[in-house]
This record gives sequence, C-alpha cells and structure tokens, in this order.
Amino acid sequence: MKTKYILSIAFMLLIVRAEAQENFFYINWNGNIPLSSKEYIDNASGRGAKIGYRFFFGRDRRFSAGVDFNWAQYDQYKPKETFETESGAITTDYFNYIYQYGLTASSQYYFPLGEKDRFFPYVGLGLGVNRNEYNVYYNIYTDSDKAFGFLARPEAGILVRIGERRRMGVMAAVHYDYSTNKSDELDYKNFSTVGFQLGIMMLQW
Amino acid sequence: MKRLFFVLVIVVTLVGCQSEPDSLKLFDELVVSTNYDTKAVFGAYTTYAIPTDTIGFVSNTNPNDTILVSRADNDYYPRRVLERVMSNMNDREYTRVGRNENPDLGVNVYVVKDFNLFQQVVYPNYYYPYYYGYGSYYSYPYVNTYAYNTGALVVEIVDLKNVTPDNKVKVIWNAYMGDVYSTIDLIDQSTKAIDQAFIQSNYLVHEN
Repeated sequence: MKTKYILSIAFMLLIVRAEAQENFFYINWNGNIPLSSKEYIDNASGRGAKIGYRFFFGRDRRFSAGVDFNWAQYDQYKPKETFETESGAITTDYFNYIYQYGLTASSQYYFPLGEKDRFFPYVGLGLGVNRNEYNVYYNIYTDSDKAFGFLARPEAGILVRIGERRRMGVMAAVHYDYSTNKSDELDYKNFSTVGFQLGIMMLQW
Repeated sequence: MKRLFFVLVIVVTLVGCQSEPDSLKLFDELVVSTNYDTKAVFGAYTTYAIPTDTIGFVSNTNPNDTILVSRADNDYYPRRVLERVMSNMNDREYTRVGRNENPDLGVNVYVVKDFNLFQQVVYPNYYYPYYYGYGSYYSYPYVNTYAYNTGALVVEIVDLKNVTPDNKVKVIWNAYMGDVYSTIDLIDQSTKAIDQAFIQSNYLVHEN
C-alpha cells in the first residue's frame, strides 16, 4: 500500500517536472489544531513546519502543481488517572504525543488579483500519505504505535512577492488535513486537523 | 538572500524536531500497577507477616540475589517502605504477627533492577516452590531486560493459609511501582505509591 502511494506521488512529480516552467520553493511555520480524537490530544500545536516545491503551468500563472512535506508535533499532559484492568489497576500521569509527517502531491489554482505579478491568492488540493507516531509517555515507560494513512489536504492561501524584481515572497495559508490514520492499540480514530502556515518562498522567475 | 533562506530552513527544521516530555514532570510520580488473584477471598485472611527492616533486591546484572537492610537511622529506605506497607495493611484490618505465629499472609517487599516489568504481563496466580520469606527470589517469572538502569519497588502478598500439598505458595496480590531509579524524591514517591497501590485495591481488606 505504501509503495502505491510513493509511486503515485513520484509519477505525478515526473509529469509536473516535464510540464513546468516557473516555480518556487517555500518553507513555512505550520501550526495546527486537532479536530478529531480530541480525547487523546486537543491542544493546538505550534510545533511544525511545511516545505514545498511548486511549478506553474503557462505564463499566466493560473495553475501550479508540486509536492509538499510537513511535520508537526502534538502533545498533551494528562493528570494522574487510574485505569482498571481485568484483575487490577494501573495509576499514572502521562503525556500523549503524536509525531506527524505528511507528504502530498498538490495542485493549485490562482485568482488574478491587483498587480498581476505580486499577489497570488489560491486554492489547492493535496493528496498523499500521512505517517503518525503515537506515543504515550509515563515515567520512564513508553507505549508506542505507528500508522500510515491516506492524506487529503484542501488549502487556501496567498503568495505575495515582496517586490516586482525580488525573487523572494511571503506565503500564508490555511489548510484542512484529513487522514485515515488510526491506532487501535491506543483507541485513536482518524486524524484531522486545521492548520495555519506562514513563511517565505523563493521564486524562480 | 539565499543565506537567509537556509537559516530559516534550519530554524524551522529545529522547531519541527521531535521532542519528549519534561523529565521532571515525568518522574515526579511512580507508575503504580496492581494485580490480584480474582479467585482469592481477601476478606477471609486475618493475619500477615512482614519483616521490620529488610527488603529484597533482585538484579539481572547481579545474579546473586541480595537484600537491602535498614541502617540505624529511621529514615532509611527499607524501613520507611515497610512501615508504609504495614500501616496500610493495618488500616485494612489485617493483624501483623510474627513469622512463626502461623500468619495467613506473607508480605514480600523487594526492589528489582533491570527487569522489564511493565512490558511483560506478570499476573498473580504464580506459585513459588517454597516460601522462605526473603532471600528466596530465584524463580521470578520475568526475564527480559532493558539496556539501561530501570527498577521497580514490588510488594507481593502470598497466601500462607492455603499452602499446596507439595508446599507451594500462591501469590494473590502484587504491586509494581516504578521507576525507582529515576525518582526525584525516592522515599516520598515510594510511600505515596504504596498508598496508591492500596487505594486502587479496595478489595484488599479483612472482613470481620
């Protein structure tokens, strides 16, 4: 299954590379708010980043495609709690953690706005794979589980070129992530978040 | 400009790196795990035996089982631990008697080092070949080890009232409290953990 995801993404990249003209790299801080399985973690995460590489199609820069990679850490402290078992109990305070990594192939549509070469509001969709590592830390002990899943990420944002002749710009976006990752061991259902990203980009035109 | 870009790459990468919880918060309380024999009738026992100032010590790295003995000062670890176990047993209406006074229950207290206690299920119902009390810890049913120091304080109650015809005794309750090698205040955390072990074992009480 994993191989299928990777091959799909690689294939899309090849197409993108062949057709692409102008492109840009970006690197963004990425904050996220969990929307699902909030009994495990409902704290917002400010610990994350997103990087990507996108190619425009055509001189009017209305469409682009590319690849995005992101990672984020979610964590929450849980006060002391007693869990009953069939023939006993265990009491501890603990920390729930999720280390998340996502890789998507994405495409975007840009709306014309004002000065054509400086502002690029857009909407886009990324599809790919998500890997979550779920850790429960208690004292020196750790319960851990890992899960891969399909990731869908609609996104809306804006690219702002600093100056007409500058190759640097600012990027801001909001995105919704839905992935099928789940952990039966830790009773964690699907994984969905809403994220905010802000950072810079390096334009190649 | 490119330099700034790469600096930002590094900064964002570091921000995104995995981190683990604050160890002070992690280690400020012991994990308390208790298990009991679901067939045991705890209310039917009346008396128990426990040593005054000696607890067992079992280590994978030191195959020669040994014991921890209290020094003269009252603050030493084994005595404080044993006193807290006795206090809880007495609160549950069990009466302490000498080992030669035919006790219903025997209480073993020991520290295990380098044993993988929480990764391997260790339930009561296991039998010791014989009950000698302390210094007979050669047949514990867990063998896996961590690569680093880890340890647990173990309190174990064996049924001396129902010794098998071939002289075996059954463990009917145990409590594992760890990790005792990573504590911030060993005695305070251990005594609180012992209290917690009894709190979460409300069936452990003598019924008149």
